[in-house]
Amino acid sequence: MSTHDHDHDHDHHEPLVVEDDQGNQEGQLLADALQSLLARKGLISAGEVMLEIQAIESPGLHLGAKIVARAWADPGFKARLLENGKNGAAELKIKVGEAQLVVVENTPAVHNVIVCTLCSCYPRSILGQPPSWYISKAYRARTVREPARVLEEFGLTLPAGVPIAVHDSNADMRFLVLPLRPEGTEGWSEDRLASLVTRDSMIGVAQPLPATAA
Amino acid sequence: MKGYHDIGGQSAGEIPKVELPWMHWEKQVEAIRNLLGDSTRRVISLDELRLGFESFGIEKYSKYSFYRRRLEAMIDTLEHKGVFTREEFEAEVAQARARWDACATTSEVGHGDA
Amino acid sequence: MATRERPVARFAPGDRVTVLELGKAGHIRTPHYVRHHSGEVVQFCGHFLNPEDLSVGCTGGPVIPLYRVQFRMDDLWPGYDRHPGDVLVIEIYDHWLAPAATATH
Repeated sequence: MSTHDHDHDHDHHEPLVVEDDQGNQEGQLLADALQSLLARKGLISAGEVMLEIQAIESPGLHLGAKIVARAWADPGFKARLLENGKNGAAELKIKVGEAQLVVVENTPAVHNVIVCTLCSCYPRSILGQPPSWYISKAYRARTVREPARVLEEFGLTLPAGVPIAVHDSNADMRFLVLPLRPEGTEGWSEDRLASLVTRDSMIGVAQPLPATAA
Repeated sequence: MKGYHDIGGQSAGEIPKVELPWMHWEKQVEAIRNLLGDSTRRVISLDELRLGFESFGIEKYSKYSFYRRRLEAMIDTLEHKGVFTREEFEAEVAQARARWDACATTSEVGHGDA
Repeated sequence: MATRERPVARFAPGDRVTVLELGKAGHIRTPHYVRHHSGEVVQFCGHFLNPEDLSVGCTGGPVIPLYRVQFRMDDLWPGYDRHPGDVLVIEIYDHWLAPAATATH
C-alpha cells in the first residue's frame, strides 16, 4: 500500500472556466461577426454553417453504445473491431471521421482509460463532444500519473489485482473503451445491451450499468 | 521549454465533475473551423488552431473557457494568415453588436428588485 | 508532380525504443512526461502528416510513421506502486524515437 504522499492533490484545485451570461453573449457576438466576415470574403455561407452544426450535433452516446452492444453480442465483429475500429464501425454504417478509431477492450486482466493530456482529443464523430471534466486540467494532468485515484473520484474501485492501461490520445488515433459485458445479460438483444452502455464507460472512468438497470 | 498545455503528470486538485450545456456559439465555432479546414478550403487546420491557443501566453490561456480559446485562436490565426485584418474584424463586431441591440434585450426576470 | 516523401517505418511492435528530447519549439505532440523514457512499440499506426509542419501551414511535407508506445507506470513515475502491470500507452512519431540502449532500464 502506498503512503499518502500525494496530499498536495488538494492544494491545487483549479476550477473550470465557465462562461457566464455575458461571456456567452460575447461568444455569440464574436462567432456571428466571424461568420459574417468569412461569408463576406466568400469562404463560407450561413447555410453551410447550419448544416455543419447539424452534422456535429448528431453523433452521441447512442453510436458508441451500438458499437459496444454489437461487439458484446458478436465475437466475430468484436475481433474485427479490435483489429480496425473504423472499419468495424463502418459495418454498422457508423462513419468515423477521424483518422482511425482504436478500440481497447476491458477484460478481467486489464482496465483501460482514455485521456488527452495536451488538449481534448476525443472520438467526436461517434460520441459527440467530450464532457467538461475530460478537458479539465485536473483530469488531463492526473490520469496519466495516478489513474486508480482518478477512477476512485469517479466512484470506480478496481480490484487491486487488475492492471490499468492509460491511453494518452495525443495524435491521430482516437480511442473507445469496450467495457466488460455485465453479468446476467446472456441472450439479450443488442438494443437492450446498448441501454447499459454509458458515455463514461466508453471513456473508462466507469463500468457499464448492471443488468438490473434494464 | 514546456508549454503550459503540456501538463501530463503535474499535480492537480479534484476533477470538476460538472456537465455543461453546449451553447449555440460554441457549435458555430466548431462548425466554422470544420468548414474552413475541409478539403475544398484548407484555410485553417486543427494543428494551426492548437498552435494558436498554445501561443496565447498563460494569462490569456487561463482566463478563457475552452471554446472561447478556440474562437480566439481562430481569429488570431486567420488575421495572421491575412484572411482579414483586425480592423475589418472589429468593424464586423460593431455591426454584429448593433444587430444584437436592435433584436434582443435582457430579461428583467431574476435580476432582483427592479 | 512531386510525390510526397514517405520514410520507411524504422520500428515494429515489440521493439524497445527511447523517446528523445529534440529541443524543438512550437506545436509538439510529444509530451514532456515521456521524453527520455523507454518503452515498447505496441502498434504501428500508419503514416501521417507531421503536426509540427501542419501547425505552421506547411502541408507539403513528408508523411511520417506513427506508433503507439507502451511504458510501465513504475518507470515513468518515481514511487509508483499500484501494480507492476500498470501501463501508459501513447502515440509517438518516428523522428522522436531511437532504439533503446541494450543496457537494462
